[in-house]
Amino acid sequence: MTDLEVRDLRKTFRLSRKQRRIERTDEKKRIAVKGLSFTARRGEIYGLLGPNGAGKTTTLRCISTLIRPDEGDIFIDGKSVLKESIEVRKNIAFLTTELKLDDFFTPNYLFGYFSRLHGIDEKTMEKRRTEQFERFGIDKFAEVKVADLSSGMKQKTSLAISLVHDPDFIIFDEPTNGLDVLTARTVIDYLLEMREAGKAIIISTHILSVVEKMCDRVGIIIDGELKVSDELAKVKALDENGDLEEVFFHLVEESAGDFAHA
Amino acid sequence: MRNMFVIFRKELYRVLTDKRLVLTVFILPGLSIFVIYTIIGTLVQAQFTEPEDYETKIYAENVPDAIVHRLDETMNYRFIEGELTRDDIEEQIMDEKIDLAVIFAEDFEERIIDKSPNPPGVTVFYNQGNQSSASAHTRFSAVMNAYHESIIKERLDDPADYHPYILATENIIDERTMAAQGFAMLLPMLIIIFLFAGAMSIGPDAIAGEKERGTIASLLVTPTKRRDIALGKVTSSALLSLLSALSAFIGIILSLPRLMMADETMPDISIYGAQEFLAIFFLLVVTVIFIVGLISIISAYAKTIKEASMLIMPFYFIAMIIGIMNSFGAEVNQNPLVHLVPIYGPINMLSGVLLFDYSLTNFFVTIAANIVYIAVFVFILNKMFDNEKVMFAR
Ligand SMILES: Nc1ncnc2c1ncn2[C@@H]1O[C@H](COP(=O)(O)OP(=O)(O)OP(=O)(O)O)[C@@H](O)[C@H]1O
Ligand SMILES: [Mg+2]
Repeated sequence: MTDLEVRDLRKTFRLSRKQRRIERTDEKKRIAVKGLSFTARRGEIYGLLGPNGAGKTTTLRCISTLIRPDEGDIFIDGKSVLKESIEVRKNIAFLTTELKLDDFFTPNYLFGYFSRLHGIDEKTMEKRRTEQFERFGIDKFAEVKVADLSSGMKQKTSLAISLVHDPDFIIFDEPTNGLDVLTARTVIDYLLEMREAGKAIIISTHILSVVEKMCDRVGIIIDGELKVSDELAKVKALDENGDLEEVFFHLVEESAGDFAHA
Repeated sequence: MRNMFVIFRKELYRVLTDKRLVLTVFILPGLSIFVIYTIIGTLVQAQFTEPEDYETKIYAENVPDAIVHRLDETMNYRFIEGELTRDDIEEQIMDEKIDLAVIFAEDFEERIIDKSPNPPGVTVFYNQGNQSSASAHTRFSAVMNAYHESIIKERLDDPADYHPYILATENIIDERTMAAQGFAMLLPMLIIIFLFAGAMSIGPDAIAGEKERGTIASLLVTPTKRRDIALGKVTSSALLSLLSALSAFIGIILSLPRLMMADETMPDISIYGAQEFLAIFFLLVVTVIFIVGLISIISAYAKTIKEASMLIMPFYFIAMIIGIMNSFGAEVNQNPLVHLVPIYGPINMLSGVLLFDYSLTNFFVTIAANIVYIAVFVFILNKMFDNEKVMFAR
């Protein structure tokens, strides 16, 4: 049994009138993901690489049970996101740099709140909170309202709070998006640490260097389709010079060509 | 179920530790009602009571002695010296230099005594828009009426002519019923308005706020049943709305003495017994949960707090109109079917309880109907929290 399996995932959105106006399109529907399949393993980082609008966030949201696949299914430790979503939620964390924390609360309060939602007992919670807050240097700001934290500190708090339950699967949409170099570094280091701890990590990004720096496997997604999905080294090897950027551009061009033919 | 309490506690904490919210939701309603009603009460009272030592200034021409006597007995006044033209009179009344001008015909008294076929005239000038002028006029009219009666009495030979009938009026309403009517008119309307206002300041922030801030995803990704989210949000908002309405009540109760002094019937809440209070309590609870449920559904649908508030407005107006109509409606509607109607049913029932005019059947119909509505609301809300199109609409 694979640790995480995305099986023939399809997702279509109905476009709202407002959205059609903004995107200047007459389409009523948008097929965001067109039959995606890949697997991810514990102790590895899987990177979904793709341009804007490729369907990365949609895929990650499906994995995180926030939205439901139209077709196909996703199995996490053999549990279906469609049929056993509550069970799946116990063992996953969904993060994004856009994830907001309620400004009104302190890191301390939020850590307690999410721990309780995950059914973690007070003693374990206290222990983890001390550990995590020290790990991210939040301890000094634990009683400061989120509104008054620096954006780097907010991101670290968000990371600590999303992982209160120490899940085996970490799903992170655009982990370094909009972060300053130092915070981005902290986040990446932490994810690498989590990999060593045996977690299965899936990230999405449109930044090639992020993939090269941390991913063990990579899937290139363009227009809702997965063009390749393999070990990083094997994907790189698709170009004669082993250049990921070349592979990526080649695939983008190819699919644009497909599109022109169609 | 446990997570419902976790969410419940967090929502309470959120509101109760926010000084700004505590001020606007729990202190301002009571305080502003107290201040406004006290001011209204004080003003109304001032309207009816004039300073005792006020000296009314009257300009008079050819006042008969009989009238002067009567004036001396009824009011504190002084005649203005000098001769004024009609224009002067009008100007001086407008300028409040004089309160009243009375011009009697030169040979007034002689013509009365002679029973002249051509009765003598009296012209009175005053300004109804000015309080002391209007009150001077009222008193002067009373003096003239008494004078009029005394003349008629003198002219009639037989006293029986003067008393063609004897009128006895009895106000048969007892104080308890009067107080009850006062409460039935005032409270249900205020209750509905304050419950709604309280719920409107809590509900949208708790649900639409989470969507707007983008914190809803963090909640939805935890292993929390959607039903627990719906219940946690609804119960916490309901409790907070009740507290907010309670603040308004304290304001009403504290300002009642001031407000009611004007007509001297001071309603006393102690006319009601335990059964009424219990009934009121249950009606309040189901009404507030109903309102909060409705507001929560709208908030779950809206993308922002502002949108939610806007969408709630029409419902607020409808509820307000129902409340006001109930205040002026003559009778408590005893038709059991009417008690099924949302908002109107409980308000009508509340009036009935306050008037001691209700049946237990209708009471239970009202409570049961609202419990069903609330269950439906929670079910819908539960579905909405589970619906990505609602939670992550673009
Ligand atoms: N809730 C939604 N309603 C309608 N359309 C949506 C919705 N979410 C995504 N889409 C559309 O689906 C397509 C894929 O979007 P998605 O957000 O998954 O892309 P992405 O790869 O994450 O892009 P980005 O790099 O911009 O984040 C886009 O065309 C987007 O407009
Ligand atoms: Mg995205």
